[in-house]
Amino acid sequence: MRALLTRIRDSIFRVGWPEDDRKALLAMRSSIILHLHAPKVRPASLRFKATWALGFVSLVLTLSLVMTGIYLMFYYIPHPDAAWRSMKDLAFVVPFGVVTRNLHRWGAHAMVALVTLHMLRVFLSGGYKAPREANWVAGVGLWVLTLALSFTGYLLPWDQLAYWAVTVGSHMVASVPLIGKPTALLLLGDRSVGEAALLRFYVLHCVVLPCVLGGLVAFHIYRVRRDGGLVTSEHAPPEEPRLVPAWPHLVYRELVVTLIVVAVLLAVSFAFNAPLEPLADPGRTPNPAKAPWYFLGIQELAHYSAFWGGVFVPGAFVAGLCLLPYVDRGEAGIGRYWPPERMFACTAFVAIGLFFLVVTIIGTFFRGPAWALMWWPY
Amino acid sequence: MTVPRWLHATFAVSLVLVIGMIGVAMMQESARPVTFEQRLVPALGVVDRCEGCHDAESHPGNALVLHPVERFGCTPCHGGQGLATTKQAAHERSPDWERPLYTPAEREAACGTCHLGQFVEGAPILSRGRAALADRSCAGCHEIPGYSLPDFPPQLDGLAAKVTPGWVRAWLRDPAALNSVHRMPTFTLSDEKREALVAFLFGVPGAALVPVEPGGDAERGRRAVSERRCATCHKIGERGGTTATDLGWAGAKLSPAWLYSYLLDTHRIRPLTRMPGFQLPPAEAADIVAFAAEQWVPDTAKPVWAADESPVHPELTDAGRTVFLESGCAGCHVVTGVDRGRTSVSLSTIGSRRIGDMPAAATGPLADLPAWIALKVVQPHAFDATAGAPAVMPAFSSVEPDEALAIGVALSSLRASPPPEEYRVRPAGAALPAGETGRLVTRFRCLTCHSIGGEGGSIARVPLDGEGSRVRGDWLIGFLQRPVTIRMDQAERMPVLGISADEAARLTAWIQDGLGDPRIAAVAPPGDPERGRQRFEALGCPSCHVVAGKGTMAGPVLDTAGDRLAPDYVIALLTIGPAVVPGGRHPATTYPPADASDLAAFILSLRAPVTP
Repeated sequence: MRALLTRIRDSIFRVGWPEDDRKALLAMRSSIILHLHAPKVRPASLRFKATWALGFVSLVLTLSLVMTGIYLMFYYIPHPDAAWRSMKDLAFVVPFGVVTRNLHRWGAHAMVALVTLHMLRVFLSGGYKAPREANWVAGVGLWVLTLALSFTGYLLPWDQLAYWAVTVGSHMVASVPLIGKPTALLLLGDRSVGEAALLRFYVLHCVVLPCVLGGLVAFHIYRVRRDGGLVTSEHAPPEEPRLVPAWPHLVYRELVVTLIVVAVLLAVSFAFNAPLEPLADPGRTPNPAKAPWYFLGIQELAHYSAFWGGVFVPGAFVAGLCLLPYVDRGEAGIGRYWPPERMFACTAFVAIGLFFLVVTIIGTFFRGPAWALMWWPY
Repeated sequence: MTVPRWLHATFAVSLVLVIGMIGVAMMQESARPVTFEQRLVPALGVVDRCEGCHDAESHPGNALVLHPVERFGCTPCHGGQGLATTKQAAHERSPDWERPLYTPAEREAACGTCHLGQFVEGAPILSRGRAALADRSCAGCHEIPGYSLPDFPPQLDGLAAKVTPGWVRAWLRDPAALNSVHRMPTFTLSDEKREALVAFLFGVPGAALVPVEPGGDAERGRRAVSERRCATCHKIGERGGTTATDLGWAGAKLSPAWLYSYLLDTHRIRPLTRMPGFQLPPAEAADIVAFAAEQWVPDTAKPVWAADESPVHPELTDAGRTVFLESGCAGCHVVTGVDRGRTSVSLSTIGSRRIGDMPAAATGPLADLPAWIALKVVQPHAFDATAGAPAVMPAFSSVEPDEALAIGVALSSLRASPPPEEYRVRPAGAALPAGETGRLVTRFRCLTCHSIGGEGGSIARVPLDGEGSRVRGDWLIGFLQRPVTIRMDQAERMPVLGISADEAARLTAWIQDGLGDPRIAAVAPPGDPERGRQRFEALGCPSCHVVAGKGTMAGPVLDTAGDRLAPDYVIALLTIGPAVVPGGRHPATTYPPADASDLAAFILSLRAPVTP
């Protein structure tokens, strides 16, 4: 019996726990999961401070969203007559329906936040500079995709929150000069959010955007390895080996991070239910009607000027992010956070980030009916 | 380099946490029932999981017999969240479900989403509210489906020849002070506007009046008022009905010539009134005018409005016309040369509003939408603080609280998305006869008290539908000319309208031909009257019916029932049950055919002694 179990184990895990680097490399060669990683990594890039695990957590969240999303797709019907009722079925009759929806919802919110922080981390350590320019642009693309996925998913519950947030969002899109109105029409399939929009958002959310995201994630991770791993400071302590096997040193850490992420996500999903409001009612406009929280900064700016705040600033920001590695080519201070050599760039970037944070907080908490400023959180 | 120990520890702790939480989720999930009772009614969009806990079989009353749960589900009548599988979510309000279980008032409003028409059996509050919507002329200002602009409030042509300016001023200030039975709400008008309104109204000419014939006698007038049964509709002193105005001060208020002309030819003076055209003989009219001048006056030396008497200001006529239109007077009152129209919001979807969306009342939170509407009717200004602007609506302070709630219920049944047409129950409507008979029905205003096809008044308890099958034609001809009282427990009695023999025969022919009941067709099998008499006693019929001086008057006296009732009807009532006399109070008992034919034979044998 024992021998049988051993045989089964050995047939899967050809190499046991790596006591030395040779065994570790052997194990990596024999496993597809391990083989995705570079065989050896720099010890400096393993330090938590080097990445704060932000990119990897985003990847874990992506996988968790795909899995919970597939389960939700079993029960979800993308039609105005049935979509909201699907939420009710998840809440009342589907096994694990509540916790699955909560995992998906909170995971999505967390992902928007973490991808943004990941970008901030990469900027502060100069990770966008040569030879990583293209991967930075891919990362900006992934950030935009994350927002798009979250936004398209926001509509699917077809409650008042979803309906009016997407109505506000699509008005923002429509206010872009020249291309705005055709884009909004393409997105909604109608003049207003309705049956066509729900189906399009569903297809974008479940098929189109995940496929694009998958391809781009593969490119992103592959390029991390091809571009020489993470940016780290060259000043490594002399007693450390220059390189260590990725298994177990990196992969084991990834496993632990995965478990922590899942634990936190589960705990949050048990404690807090995803919001649901009454069935979408085009005749009953909430006051104020607010976009999803990550667009509230833009909505706040759009309140001052539809074009400058709602179109120009976010558009220029994304365009600037893409151009950044081709313009800012200084090589000093790479691999360290906020180094004196990059004082201006880092301060400016954080200032822009803080500005968006502040307007988002104002838009989220301090805007009441008719978008009037409130002195207490609304 | 080795893997640090803290990493192993973190791995173990988080693994335990994840497995533990998944375990807890599994346990929670396994505690839930695997299957759910659910009731699907696609036509109504109903998915009701109520029967997971509730047993439809145990529903009280016959509501589920009339509304099978397979066709209606639960939530269309009861509200609440049918999809829910927990008690709290199913019954209560939550951020995503704003229609918790209906309150009793909301439940009756729910009846009204399918049941149209004024009378809805089993929904007395709704029915009362729908009658009140008409009675209070709500459709004069608001668009309300099923209600046209009201036409019975007084036409105001020729006001100058009817009352004094002082009376109109006092009336506009506070109608309740002048008349205990009034429909008009209290408008808050400035003195200038009120004066302008008086000037405008006193400038509109009316129909020519006939001078009172001399020789009227107050004592004969008193008898005429009593014999004509004016008190069925009018309040006189402490007694009388509330269908029409309080006559207590009519002698002081009305000019004698107006009253005389009105009694002579009511519909010439006010073509749209609900009052029948009695067409009194001139002498009788003069008697009543004399009686009114003597008795229908205030106790005080001078009426309260005498203090306000001063000439009108004709120069304000144009301003008064503007006030008349702005204040919405033209919604209810007909004035020649003024276009009628509504001045307020449509109420056609008010039932879809949620109580949470309505402005809060200064008096505190309200239970439901009907309660909100009820308060709005009686105290429109209760919401001024939260609504942001003072209410324009005049206060209907004479509406009693339960009538106000009934109005709230009736309006709450007006939803933006009503049930599909195959669920809606519409009354047949009154198909009135054409020609001379039709003119008689209109002249005698039969529908002020009686209803046909769900249309008309509710003073007569039993609708006229089927009346042709219930009573004998020869009896009906006599009754119409000289109505006697059938239902002793009812205060209102049919007025003596002065219907001639010809007219009575014509109306009887119409009732017999047009208002029959196909269910009342059985030929009475011959029974044994003597056995019927015994059964009558044994079955306890005298607890409600009087025969030969024995019994109570809870039901009609049967001493002359054989002259009055159609034989087939008596059999039908005893075998089919009280469905053949809707609105009546006969107990829902049916009898075996042998008993029924004997009872019928006995009842039909009860006839008035023939006077030679």
